Amino acid sequence: MPPLTPTRTDRPTRRAALARLVAGGVALAWPARQTQAQGAFDLVQLMRTLAQVKAGEATFVEKRNVAMLERTLQSSGRLSFEAPDTFVRETLKPTQEKIAVVGNEVTMSRGTRSRTVPLDSVPEAAVIMEAIRGTLTGNRTAIERNFSASVSGTAQRWELELKPNEPRLRELVISVRLSGAQALVREVVVAMADGDRSVMTIEPVVPGARPASAAS
Amino acid sequence: MSSLLARLRNVVRRHAIALWLVLVVVAAGISARTNYVADLSAFLPSTPSAEQAVLLDQLRGGIAARLLLIGIEGGTAPQRSEASLRLANTLRASGAFDAVHNGDNSGFEATGKFLFEHRYLLSPAVDAQRFTVAGLRAGIDEATSLLGTPGGAAIKAVILRDPTGETVRMAESMLPSQAPRSDGRVWISRSAARAVLIATTHADGADLDAQQRTLQLVHSSFAPFEQQGLKLVLSGSGTFAVASRAQIKAEVERLAIAGGVAIVALMLLAFGGSLKTLATALLPVGSGVLAGIAAVSLIFGNVHGITLGFGTTLIGEAVDYAIYYLIQARAAAGAPAGDGARRWLADNWPTVRLGLLTSICGFAALLFSGFPGLAQLGVFSIAGLSAAALTTRHVLTVTSPDGAPGMGLRRHLGHFVGACTTVLPRLRGPLAAVALLAALTLAWLPSPWRGDLGSLSPVGAEKMAIDAELRADLGATDAGMLVAVSASDEAGALAAAEAAGTRLDKLIDAGVIAGYESPARVLPSPALQQLRRDALPNAATLSARLAEATIDGPLPAARLGGFVADVQAARQQALLTRASLKGTPLYAALDALLVPGNGTRPWRALLSLQAGAKAIDPAALRSALAGVPGAQVVDIGAELHALYARYLHEATLQALLGALAVCVLLALHLRSPARLWRIAQPVAAAVLIVLAGFSALGVALGILHLVGLLLTVAIGSNYALFFDQIRARQDAAPPGTPWVVDNDTLASLALANLTAVISFCLLAFSSIPALFAIGQVVAPGILLSLLLSAAFIPSRAR
Repeated sequence: MPPLTPTRTDRPTRRAALARLVAGGVALAWPARQTQAQGAFDLVQLMRTLAQVKAGEATFVEKRNVAMLERTLQSSGRLSFEAPDTFVRETLKPTQEKIAVVGNEVTMSRGTRSRTVPLDSVPEAAVIMEAIRGTLTGNRTAIERNFSASVSGTAQRWELELKPNEPRLRELVISVRLSGAQALVREVVVAMADGDRSVMTIEPVVPGARPASAAS
Repeated sequence: MSSLLARLRNVVRRHAIALWLVLVVVAAGISARTNYVADLSAFLPSTPSAEQAVLLDQLRGGIAARLLLIGIEGGTAPQRSEASLRLANTLRASGAFDAVHNGDNSGFEATGKFLFEHRYLLSPAVDAQRFTVAGLRAGIDEATSLLGTPGGAAIKAVILRDPTGETVRMAESMLPSQAPRSDGRVWISRSAARAVLIATTHADGADLDAQQRTLQLVHSSFAPFEQQGLKLVLSGSGTFAVASRAQIKAEVERLAIAGGVAIVALMLLAFGGSLKTLATALLPVGSGVLAGIAAVSLIFGNVHGITLGFGTTLIGEAVDYAIYYLIQARAAAGAPAGDGARRWLADNWPTVRLGLLTSICGFAALLFSGFPGLAQLGVFSIAGLSAAALTTRHVLTVTSPDGAPGMGLRRHLGHFVGACTTVLPRLRGPLAAVALLAALTLAWLPSPWRGDLGSLSPVGAEKMAIDAELRADLGATDAGMLVAVSASDEAGALAAAEAAGTRLDKLIDAGVIAGYESPARVLPSPALQQLRRDALPNAATLSARLAEATIDGPLPAARLGGFVADVQAARQQALLTRASLKGTPLYAALDALLVPGNGTRPWRALLSLQAGAKAIDPAALRSALAGVPGAQVVDIGAELHALYARYLHEATLQALLGALAVCVLLALHLRSPARLWRIAQPVAAAVLIVLAGFSALGVALGILHLVGLLLTVAIGSNYALFFDQIRARQDAAPPGTPWVVDNDTLASLALANLTAVISFCLLAFSSIPALFAIGQVVAPGILLSLLLSAAFIPSRAR
């Protein structure tokens, strides 16, 4: 049984089971906890910082390099989140598309089509959603359930590297790296196992600065 | 005619023993060849409405009856996943299952290949617009937008042949909206440490032998994992049916043995341990049981386990006739041998016969109950009681012309009952007050008639809880709402399903429902497939449009030669039908939702609905589907409730008719309203008190309790008849004649009552709800009937 910090409220048995389930994950989580004792910036602090912001809105630009395609795919749109578990990614260009995750429900809409499925029934689609939603809402439990996480840098300039716990997902995604400053996430880099890679840069929207027409 | 009847009667009398022997041998032969069943659907009604027909189809033989839910618990998560993968492969290879799903798609190459090859017939996105320049560009944009994400890994390999992403569109439309949680390899529970699988047995749900073999196969396939400390959890209607059958079988054996032992012991006690008397007394019982089984077998083609269980009460009733005869057939002092039989035939047989006829009237009501199971009980009882009475009348009078010699306890019993008959009439006032109070209680308390179909099932609450958990894990819980469409052929049913689907799509947009499953998603109607095929352009046209659509796009037209070739091949493809899906894994999915018709029944497509945050409003659903030919909305919970309410109502009417028939029979026979009233009082009071007792205890009463009440009337009236006979004789004697208590008759009544009460008490301890309900009502009912008859009928003036 790993030592529990006072802020830890999740059940020890579940932690133990999880630990057995993802032996690798615990091994990676250890250094993070040890560095906490030395006062360095770690996952607990990062998540606490992120959790202080209960809702947010941002624009994004994503560039994706796919080996088999002639050119880089670029898309842009808006992101929004709201604690505890809502995350919406709305692509405006090149075509309109919206993915809304609320709890364990993910709704994908494109044109007039819309489809809702349980998020945990499609792990390969859920992995990126869980990484971004978990980070934006500062939900350490969700992050640790799905990933082995390592934090580097400082509160001013941090980087969070997430590697999927499930072996099957590790065959698809090597890592999701999120970086930012304080409670702002500025960049999400996804490295795929087949060499494809996407970089999403995020620009927070200052409340009230956006024209009203952007509201969905 | 009457002379013929008289001659027949003569022959019967003269050759009674020989005739009886022949009949016994025939009945024994039929019984030995009888098929015994334990399918609880016999207790589902047989004449449903159209919407109920859909439901009952599903309950009896539909896919729901073939679903097996499997959970793997214990061990570690990787162990469970591994066990799920290997168990599923073993079960798929066994041939005992039409489908085994555990979330593992690696074995679905065949399905994937089939879908991919038929994508231009099956993809919901294919239409003429899809192959315009704009349509192609939009399709390519959408498909490529998935590349480079984890969700796009699956289409990467096929994007050059399927640049518009029809594969994705097919998968999207076929994936259930309530999919189970996946660990990336197999399905796992959201609430517990458990891997979950769902399988469709090849065996029909009603074929319990095959279901049992299938379950054994699952257990033996799982044995290696059990050694690792993993635990197998099974549920589903097949497991319930198999367990119920075993339970009914064990229970019936237990009841028969216990009933037999109790009656034999009682008879030995009553007749001073005379084995000859015991053997004689068992003749009518054995004849009755054989006749009952043979009659049911001839009429229904099989005998239900519950009928047999219920039949054990026949032991208690049939032995009554022997008891009446053996005790009551007393020769007058100094009379020649056989005088006892003559006197019994003259004095008591008319009463016994009348009792038999009233019982038959009561049981006859069961014949019209609409439940095949209950009709069996009726036939069994009528045939059994008639045979027992006739055996007593024609065989016992020959073999034991002067009744039974042994006195044993019955002398004491006679004295005891004799004493009771002097005490009980004094309690007439208080007892009448109790009956009145019972009537008032019934009027005041809410109606206790609120049993439901679920109360007929012997499946325990624990098993139901496991079932509910597994269903929740697997997303196999339905909203309890079905839309059924029917047509005369396959194409029509699929087209109707598509029409209903279009309306349901609007309800999804409006948030009325969360989703639905449709057979047309697996297999579009021929008309729709034709439309899609017609939308495919020829090679030259497609190439030209593709060249324009890919300008500045991520995929150059030059690399899409495979796509153009595939579209050309699809233009020549034969349309898919249910038959052509046979042998593909898609067939099981289709089979679940498309029920083939036959000469009498139309083809039926079932669309099961998923509720969103709030329950589905059936009225909104019905109005949305207005105009779709043959569409019916089946609200399963409400239908089941309505079904049961309707049958309870019908059964009440039949019970009342049965009671009325008993009254008419008595009125015709007695030709005295006063005597009819005398007999009706104690029986009616007994029924009232039992009913009031159950109401006060808060027991939910159902059809089987009603049957119990009917039996109470049928059996209880026999006791009343004997007391009435005593009273009539007393009234007929000249005034001043001293009243002689006929202790023998009273002893026979008490003994007969005791045997019947014992058999129904045994039923009351049964764990099968159908038997439990009947025993619970009849045992106190007939005891009260006897006591109240003793209290109400004899004249106070002795």
